[in-house]
Amino acid sequence: MTSFLVGIIALTAPLAASEKSPPPLPPLQSIRVEPSQVQLHGSNRQQQLLVTGTSQSGQAVDVTHLCEVTSSNSSVVAGRASRLQGVGDGTATVQVHIGKLTAAVPVTVRDFTNPPPVHFGNDVVPLLSKLGCNSGGCHGKASGQNGFKLSVFGFDPEADYNAIVKEARGRRIFPASPEQSLILLKPTGRVPHGGGRRLEAGSTDYVVLQDWLKQGTPVGEANGPHLTALEVSPAQRVLGLKAEQQILATAVFSDGSRRDVTAAAAYTSNAEHVAAAAGGGLVHTGDVAGEAAITVNYMGQVAAVRLQVPRPDAPNPYPALPVNNKIDSFVWSKLKTMGIVPSEVAGDAVFLRRLYLGVLGTLPEPSEVRAFLADIEPYKRSHWIDRILERPEYADYWALIWSDILLVNRDKLGDRGAFELHRWLRSQLAHNRPYDQWVRELITASGSSSRVGPVNFYRASANTEEVARSVSQAFLGIRLECAQCHHHPFEKWSQEDFYGLAGFFNGLERKKMPSKSDAPVRGGEEEVVIHAGYRPMALPLTGRKMAARAPDGPLLGERVEGDPRRELANWMTRPDNPWFARLVVNRLWKHYLGRGLVEPEDDLRSTNPATNEPLLDYLAATLVKENFDLKALTRIILNSRTYQLSSTPNASNRDDEQLGSHFRVRRLPAEVLLDAISKATGEPEAFPGRPRGARAIELWDNRMPSYFLDVFGRSERLTPCACGRSSEPTMAQCLHLMNAPEIERKIAAPTGRIARLLKENATDDQLVEELCLAALGHPVGESERRVARQLFDAVPRQQAAQDFLWVLLNSHEFLFVR
Amino acid sequence: MMPKFCDGIDRRGFLRVGSLAGLSLAQFFRLQAALGAENTRRRDVNCIFIFTIGGMAHQDMWDYKPDAPAEIRGDFRAIQTSVPGVHLTDILPHTARVTDKLAIVRSMTHGDSDHGRGYHIMMTGNRPGAGDFNAHKNNNVHPSLGSMVARMTNRGGALPPYISVPSFLRSGGPAFLGASCAPFVIESNPAAPDFGVRDVVLPEGITGERAQNRQAALRTLNSYQRSVEDASRDERSLDRFYERSYRLMTSASARAAFDLRRERGPVRESYGMTSLGQCCLLGRRLVEAGCRFVTIENGHWDTHRENARSLRDLLVPSLDRALSTLVTDLDERGLLDSTLVVLATEFGRTPRINNLAGRDHWPQAFSIVMAGGGLRRGVVLGATDRIAASITDRPITPPDFAATVLYALGIDPSTTLHTPLGRPVELASGGRAVMELFA
Repeated sequence: MTSFLVGIIALTAPLAASEKSPPPLPPLQSIRVEPSQVQLHGSNRQQQLLVTGTSQSGQAVDVTHLCEVTSSNSSVVAGRASRLQGVGDGTATVQVHIGKLTAAVPVTVRDFTNPPPVHFGNDVVPLLSKLGCNSGGCHGKASGQNGFKLSVFGFDPEADYNAIVKEARGRRIFPASPEQSLILLKPTGRVPHGGGRRLEAGSTDYVVLQDWLKQGTPVGEANGPHLTALEVSPAQRVLGLKAEQQILATAVFSDGSRRDVTAAAAYTSNAEHVAAAAGGGLVHTGDVAGEAAITVNYMGQVAAVRLQVPRPDAPNPYPALPVNNKIDSFVWSKLKTMGIVPSEVAGDAVFLRRLYLGVLGTLPEPSEVRAFLADIEPYKRSHWIDRILERPEYADYWALIWSDILLVNRDKLGDRGAFELHRWLRSQLAHNRPYDQWVRELITASGSSSRVGPVNFYRASANTEEVARSVSQAFLGIRLECAQCHHHPFEKWSQEDFYGLAGFFNGLERKKMPSKSDAPVRGGEEEVVIHAGYRPMALPLTGRKMAARAPDGPLLGERVEGDPRRELANWMTRPDNPWFARLVVNRLWKHYLGRGLVEPEDDLRSTNPATNEPLLDYLAATLVKENFDLKALTRIILNSRTYQLSSTPNASNRDDEQLGSHFRVRRLPAEVLLDAISKATGEPEAFPGRPRGARAIELWDNRMPSYFLDVFGRSERLTPCACGRSSEPTMAQCLHLMNAPEIERKIAAPTGRIARLLKENATDDQLVEELCLAALGHPVGESERRVARQLFDAVPRQQAAQDFLWVLLNSHEFLFVR
Repeated sequence: MMPKFCDGIDRRGFLRVGSLAGLSLAQFFRLQAALGAENTRRRDVNCIFIFTIGGMAHQDMWDYKPDAPAEIRGDFRAIQTSVPGVHLTDILPHTARVTDKLAIVRSMTHGDSDHGRGYHIMMTGNRPGAGDFNAHKNNNVHPSLGSMVARMTNRGGALPPYISVPSFLRSGGPAFLGASCAPFVIESNPAAPDFGVRDVVLPEGITGERAQNRQAALRTLNSYQRSVEDASRDERSLDRFYERSYRLMTSASARAAFDLRRERGPVRESYGMTSLGQCCLLGRRLVEAGCRFVTIENGHWDTHRENARSLRDLLVPSLDRALSTLVTDLDERGLLDSTLVVLATEFGRTPRINNLAGRDHWPQAFSIVMAGGGLRRGVVLGATDRIAASITDRPITPPDFAATVLYALGIDPSTTLHTPLGRPVELASGGRAVMELFA
């Protein structure tokens, strides 16, 4: 584990020697201040200013913290650096200076002396978030902390109000002497607090809490303005290394009023080594180039700021790069922004092996490799892509992949159910049925588990909530599971969204059919799955009925005729559905390129942006245009130069793991690796109950006993998350590859490849050549020849051939696709 | 950014805050002792974790109620132990003689009577949500204790840090910590004559010399094929595991740890020639050779019928022998203070004997046993009522239990890790180490 971490750290190694001082500020042409005018309403309001300079080359530079700020009337407004604070009612002008440039901002302060009452939901709860009180590690966790429990991230202000004011016999507040309330004593550390000191006595935040207590802990107006949106600025920015950027976060309320929440919002970077966000919205870039998205979170509203830090040593001029198709234009454009040059195109042999393993999960035969290498036709790669996409292994392999996503799990579905769902999936893929059509059939499926394959999808879930989670994750890439219990911490999804989606499935019934045999197999009985009619779900907190609604989709009314899943399927497969096509193209991209444009691949949300948004948009639009023909989209991906790039990095792209500058090397998945060993050795795996020659990628049964598949991490098929499959190395894997008697038997099998070649009186050179083609997919090269010579000099040729094959099977080139 | 550590305060700061708030002097010193202990705890303590699958009848072994009515008391009698005033039942004669080395906890409680979930709770300290946890192995939604230890261990060495024998324990998986924290599973019965650890020795017919040729050729080929600099992260990571695996294959002492034939006959027999006995012996050899956490599966104790007869004739004798010998053997070798022995189970069993002469599941109150690892010796913690049905003193929750194990191993139980989704997860799920158990 430790050594694994070292790998990650090594990735973020500095590009240049770190320097103490930030890079010099370029000469500025102009400055702009946001907001252009300031309203401070109440006594404890503040306003962060965001000052952006424009350099002579037109580049935007944050100078917020380099400016000098002066107030025309210090009895109205005062500034602590760039943060303005009301002092008294009135108007004033604030001047922002940097060098010779100035900008003026008019300021109005009102109701300072008679502040409006504190609103619990709008004023107090955000503080609990900002101070970390309600985070998942503290009072926000399901069990609370030391008896004090808050809703995580403040999604339930009503419960929080009760927790503070009413629970524990009201001991947390002391109306007679607000300063002696536990809610103030604890976070200021005046009484021992396991969470430490969180709040300074006398600070603005403290005063809000204190005022709230003094005012008699008001809940606040029920119909008062509520938060409707969070705006952040800048939305996107290109930054240098070791630069800083202030973020401005503004809450927008239902009455149109706006409030600066920069200091109260929470900031999370998805790439801390590129850009780290501190409280107060100040972001610092490090000494590593890359991209980062800063998620800004305030009271259940989220927004993202996208930051790009290009390499400082970008080639100038940037080379002109050939394109195979539109994909390349999008990728090159991104790489150019980031100062990264892609690798060369991979050689023919590497390309063919990559193509076979990616599309078919299968190694090419030596004869196929020879034929491809001998093909002198200029567009042979395209032609071979077309041919390979029509091979039957395509359906085998993709049925396996979809079986992981759709949880074809024998433990839950029984033998027959798992078999039928897998068979149905394979058939959809074999006929290349449009994705929207087969998903619609699956979503609306009803009938017997032994005859209607897709109904088994519903049998994998224990209850309606689980169905909702599976559907949203498998087909929409929305991880709603967070929202089942609390507001999604990084998204706008709430419990209403979760139970709205679940409503489509409420009413699903599973009826057991009378068993024909006396000893029913576990989960093996036949069931009939039907939808008994629309029944909206109740929200667990309030009991309120929630009409069925797809996330961000239209509400379904009180009454719906027939099966409401049809409505959901209609919405899902609409060409303008924002998730459906994007998720599946992202899955395909991840499968073929090794990393999703969005990672994790099934976690699509505004705060987890794609590394190349225009490319993802293009791929999704193309899939829709191609009528959800997955093979057509696959063909476009495979024909791109991006897919065909070498995995050998160059100096400029060595650290890039996100943008497709070179092909991403990865280990063969468990089933593919087992098949590859069988194929290279020429000795198939014997699976109990399957005919000789059956392949691991054809298995429908994820519990087929196999030490190999267990140890190399086949999918558990328990959660619809793509994380079910493990590709991490373990000692057990290495030991197995080196020492397993099963593999040794395959190498030495009397019916195996070596035995056959020896029987055919192959020469030493022929042996080496064939083994190399079979295992590595290329003719023997100088390095293999040298290694072979060593081995053939040491022991008799049969043993030497076996040793050589052992070496090949344990080599990186065999274990990885690259 | 939301604060990552709830307990973000430094220890010194905590003391200062405490003293400011006017703790009594005694409280202050107790606090200081506890904090001091945490700072100076030895970090070289290993663990042998025996899990009794099915639910161990606490009242028939560790928490006997001599005064309860017969339908509750059962068939056994109390016997004296080496600790005056502490009694076990007469099916534990060997353990009774080493009770002065044990810490018996009679007040475990969690309230989930499902095997799968109870298993998960006791292997991880964490209560999983709804769902079927019985169907298969590696069902963890929270890392097992062994995986946490593997994650927190930075010990080079030929042996893997976390080994499971004689099988993968159902909830012994790593959850979000990933395969690198999964146990190395020895799927073989050490009491069987053909016991061996798979894949750590060369396959039949491959001589050491040939293996060396192969290894040398492999290294050459990998280095020819691509420079280290150009190798991907995954390739470099695999290389490190190959190196460790090769070290294990070639380390005579590590391989010797697996070889029970190196033990003298009388020692092997003293543990009992049972799967559990030989697993315990193997566990001792593994921690001696540098493994940090060994889990041992001890099944199948789900005594819904014929409870007393099953315990007396089938289940307890091997445990009595193995546990007492393990503790004695460790002590005699001077290893008991650096080895924590744990005997855990999903839950206890019902107070009242059912009409099949069995006892059913009872998670409200049950017992676990620990020894060594810096724990006080010869103590009994917690108590249950007169029918061993509910706890009357010092309830210990699974998070507390997990925290205690981690703390004994020199790991801060409040360490917070993040799941791939970024959710903060505390190792011990908020539990506090049971400080009364520590010397």
